[in-house]
Amino acid sequence: MADLSADLGFRTLKNPVIAASGTFGYGEEFLPFYDLDVLGAIVMKGIFREERPGNPPPRLHETPAGLLNSIGLAGPGSAALQEIIRRLHARTPVPIIVNVCGGDDDEFVEVAALFSGMDEVAMLELNISCPNVKKGGACPAQDAGHTSRLVKRVKERIRKPLIVKLSPNAADIVGVAQAAQDAGADALSLVNTFLGLAVDLEARRPVFANVYAGLSGPAVKPLALRLVREVCLKAYVPVIGIGGIASGRDALDYILVGASAVQVGTVNFYDPAGAARIVTEIEAEMERLKIRDLSEIRGKLQA
Amino acid sequence: MQDERGLIEEARSLGSGYQLLKIAAPHAAKTAKPGQFVMVRILPALDPLLRRPLGILDARPPYIWLYYQVLGNGTRLLAGQRPGDSLDILGPLGNTFPELPGQRVLLIAGGRGIVPLFHYARAYGERRPLLMLYGGRSKADQQLLDRVLSLRLERLFIFSEDGSIGQQGRLSDGLEKILRDERPDATYSCGPEAMLAALAKLLKPFPTRDLVSLEARMGCGFGACQGCAILAANGTYRRVCDEGPVFPMEEIQWPT
Repeated sequence: MADLSADLGFRTLKNPVIAASGTFGYGEEFLPFYDLDVLGAIVMKGIFREERPGNPPPRLHETPAGLLNSIGLAGPGSAALQEIIRRLHARTPVPIIVNVCGGDDDEFVEVAALFSGMDEVAMLELNISCPNVKKGGACPAQDAGHTSRLVKRVKERIRKPLIVKLSPNAADIVGVAQAAQDAGADALSLVNTFLGLAVDLEARRPVFANVYAGLSGPAVKPLALRLVREVCLKAYVPVIGIGGIASGRDALDYILVGASAVQVGTVNFYDPAGAARIVTEIEAEMERLKIRDLSEIRGKLQA
Repeated sequence: MQDERGLIEEARSLGSGYQLLKIAAPHAAKTAKPGQFVMVRILPALDPLLRRPLGILDARPPYIWLYYQVLGNGTRLLAGQRPGDSLDILGPLGNTFPELPGQRVLLIAGGRGIVPLFHYARAYGERRPLLMLYGGRSKADQQLLDRVLSLRLERLFIFSEDGSIGQQGRLSDGLEKILRDERPDATYSCGPEAMLAALAKLLKPFPTRDLVSLEARMGCGFGACQGCAILAANGTYRRVCDEGPVFPMEEIQWPT
C-alpha cells in the first residue's frame, strides 16, 4: 500500500489533496457526493468580515479547457461562516482551512484573528491574491513589500499555521514568495487564478463588468506548474501546488516539481466527486510507478 | 441528487436546432419534480469543461427527456451524441413548481421555455384541468407542438409572432383577455428574458400567484460556485441553481 500522507512540517495530512478555496463552497454543498474525510483538507470559500454580494452577472465565461470567473468573493460574512464551520465540523473530521480576505490590511488581520480562535479550524490561508476584488485585478500579492508587512501583522495575531496564497499575476512571484516566508508564512499556496480577458465581439464590450477575470482549469496547468517549480526551488517552507489539476497524474506532477500537497479547484464544478477521485487515482498511480511514499518523488524533477 | 451515468436511448433533431434526448437515468427519472434540471457532461472531454444545465421535459422511470436548442459548442457536441452513448447526468437539481392542488394554474411557455411547464402538465394534468399558452417567434420555435397537443389540458392557446401557427402576436398580447376570461389562481412562466419581463409588468395588477423559471449559465449547478447569480428586486443576488430556478415573479429585478 502506497503511503499518501503529506507532510507540511507543522501538520501531516492523510493525503496531499486539498479542495481549493472558492471551488468547494463551504464544504456542505459536497456532502451529498462523498465523505469529505477522504480528502487531506478543505479550504472554505474566501471570507470577509461582512456579507458581500459579489459581482454583477455574468460571473462565468468558459474557455477551451478553462474557466474565467468574476464571482467577486460573494459570501455571508465571518459570523455566518463561523456557524457553518461549527455545523460542518460536527459532521466530518476533515481538516478545515479558512481562506481569509480583506478589503484592507486591518480587515485581513481582524478576520484572521477571529478564525484563529476557533478550535474547529485547522489552519488559515491568507488570500492576498484574488483578482476579482479590485478593478484591474490589483491585490497585495503583486508586491513583496506589502505581502511582507501584511503577513507579519497577521502572524502576530494568530496561533494557527498560516498558508499564504500567491498570485501568478505578480511580476516576480518568487520574490513575493520569499517575502512571505521571511515574514513568517508557515506554507505557501500557489497559484490563484491568472488574470484574463474575454470580449463580446458583437457588442464590442468586455464580457465582465470588472473587465478582467480569473482563469482556472486544465488550460492553466503548464503555466502554474512552472511557477510552482520556480517557487519550490527557493522556498524553505512547504509549497502547496494549485492550477488545473484534473487527475491523479496532474497532482503527482506538482509533487515532482517540489510541492508538498496540492489544491484542486475547477474540477469540483464539473465533477463534484472529482477531488475524491483524484485521491484514488494518486494511490493507483503510486502503485503502478512503485512509489511507496510521496517524499520519494517530491522535488525530484531531473532538469 | 446523484451523479449517474445516463445512457442515450433516443436522440432526435426536431428542426431549427431543437433537439430531443431520451436518456436512461434511473435516479433522476425516479426523483425529478416539475421545474428541476440536470447538469449534463459529455464524457470524458475537458473542452467544453463545464456541464450544461438542461431542464427536464419529462420523466418516466427509468427515462428522462431533455429538450434543448443548439446554441454553442456544448450543445452542438451534445447534439452529436447517438443512442448507446453515455452522458454524466447530475440531478435532479433546483427547486420545483408547486403542484397547488385544486387551484387553477395557467402555464405560459415561450419557445424552449416549454420544458418545465410540459413536465408540470405531464405530472399533474391528469388530476385536474390546466391552462396553457404556448408561443414563439414562429412555428419553428414550437417543435414540441405535437406533444403539447397530446397533453391533458383544459385550454391550450397558441401564439406565434409571425402568424405561422395559432394566433398572430406575442404571448403577452393575448394574456390579458385570457386572465380575465379564465381567472387562474396562479401563473407559471418560462421563456426568453424579454418575454418574462413583459409578463411581469402585465401580471402585476392581477391577483394571481406568479412563479417564473429562469435560465442561467452555471458552473456547478448545486450552489458551490455562485456563478449563476441573478439580480433580485431588493438589490441582492440569487443563485438560479439552488435558490431557483423557480422564483416568485416579483422577487426578480426585470430589465426595463
